[in-house]
Amino acid sequence: MILLGVEAPKLVKSVRPGHFAMALLPGGQAAGVALGIYEAHGERCSLLFFITGDRTRRLGALRVGETLHLVAPLGNGFDCSGKARDIAIVAGGVGIASVLLPAQALLARGARIRLYYGARTAERLVEAERFATEGCELQLATDDGSRGHHGVVTELLERQPAPEAILACGPTPMLRAVSAYAQERNLPAQLSLEEAFGCGVGGCWGCVVPILRSSAQAPSFPPSDADGSDVVHARVCVEGPVFWAHELRW
Amino acid sequence: MVDSTAFDASARIGSLVLPFPTVGLSGCYGSGAEFAPYVDLSRLGAVVLKSVTRRPRMGNPTPRIVHTPAGMLNAIGLQNPGIEWYLQHDVAKFAQTPCATIGSVAGFSVDDYAYVCERLAARSEIAAIELNISCPNVAHEGETFSCDPDLTARVVRAARATTEKPLIAKLSPNVTDIATIARAAVDAGADALAVVNTVRGMSIDIYRRKPRLGNVTGGLSGAAIRPIALLAVYEVARAVSVPIIGQGGIETASDALEFLLAGASAIGIGTANFTDPRAPMTILDGIFAYMAQQNVRSLREIVGTANTGFANSNQFEGDEG
Repeated sequence: MILLGVEAPKLVKSVRPGHFAMALLPGGQAAGVALGIYEAHGERCSLLFFITGDRTRRLGALRVGETLHLVAPLGNGFDCSGKARDIAIVAGGVGIASVLLPAQALLARGARIRLYYGARTAERLVEAERFATEGCELQLATDDGSRGHHGVVTELLERQPAPEAILACGPTPMLRAVSAYAQERNLPAQLSLEEAFGCGVGGCWGCVVPILRSSAQAPSFPPSDADGSDVVHARVCVEGPVFWAHELRW
Repeated sequence: MVDSTAFDASARIGSLVLPFPTVGLSGCYGSGAEFAPYVDLSRLGAVVLKSVTRRPRMGNPTPRIVHTPAGMLNAIGLQNPGIEWYLQHDVAKFAQTPCATIGSVAGFSVDDYAYVCERLAARSEIAAIELNISCPNVAHEGETFSCDPDLTARVVRAARATTEKPLIAKLSPNVTDIATIARAAVDAGADALAVVNTVRGMSIDIYRRKPRLGNVTGGLSGAAIRPIALLAVYEVARAVSVPIIGQGGIETASDALEFLLAGASAIGIGTANFTDPRAPMTILDGIFAYMAQQNVRSLREIVGTANTGFANSNQFEGDEG
């Protein structure tokens, strides 16, 4: 795991829970990487990620004192207002990077937070203790059973009393399971989606997801085709990355 | 930084004169507005809008983008709201853009191109029209137009009949002889050529045993195609005497200068914007630095000078002003 701290006082002031950053690679020559903004406090933000390829390796090789250019904050973020008091946050893998700020915001307004957190192995279940320290109740799962429940994290969610609302960030199969769980119980669920990004600022239409045109997140979208379909392709980077589960048509 | 007022880096595309030769490419710089919080758009020569078609298009399924060595594959599939919606809801916003706005038209028939071109070109917000006759990512005929000299000529001629504004034909590199296509476009009335669109390609996930792109195939862009694009510009510049917007993997001022020396009058920046939204401005700074160092007062002095067969060497001598 890489936890990259950056001095970015302006970003700290403008960032909201669920925002992300495009981290431009030092030396360029490859597209920027979209990363969740993990912490924001005082003068500093941090970005949490794993080395999964050449681009993340180059970011991970940054040393103290070097400069990192971020295009941020980006995206719509989670809606942390609402009145729900009992909230489940579901995180899978690197999705954990996008849920600390919403957890802090929700705890600050007195909500009870159960964090359902799954990863491949115990070693990959990073920062779990940090969430416990913040005041979240932990429900952990690993694919190999090396820590917590042996299986996927949504199985844990199904076994326990339903929350009033759900926030989730993680791989698409996990988000689909969360979406199905929430819709069966008619629970409001906000999902922060993963998609391959080009520009990250809405200029390339590379990262899209099918969504109901009537969604508040597609306010000015035309009918998607000549026959007046009610589904449009919204951009994950601008209209998202957070979408209401019941409005997605993926 | 070099005092850019002492040097002329302007570029002419038909009757359109851009203060700078740097163009943000279609589908890579939005309408400019998306990048405005991060860059000074008044230091961009022009932005080419995302292509618009006669009817709305939802575009391809995801993934639409796959990062590859020294570049990326994309298969967006011409997602756009269709010309009627576009004219009613989107075009007026482009008046705010602090650089020239070039519209881009795509279609599936000769008539489509003429229909959309006529309506878009009629708008004062639009300074010129790019005919995207080379999209590799749509099911029918998208790229066929620029792979056939006769179809290329028919599209350009039909669009030409609808507008006096500068017409730019965007050519595909996926052809045997691009010079033939270039001649057909120019003979039919194109004022300029954009050389080149993406190179067809694909990528396969060996664990899922499936193609990575939702559309299976896509268009390769980025540094990986730069030498291919440069050669295409070199060959087109020997065949026709209209301005060329050189594009394909340009990331730095040095890359841009190669294209100018090969015969391009302007240069397009696409995928490099995803590496750094400031790329067009950084490239412009580098071009001015080169001009100062090499004592080049006007960029037009060097266009095509590395190309012995450059057909456009007298292009500016007869210019008024």
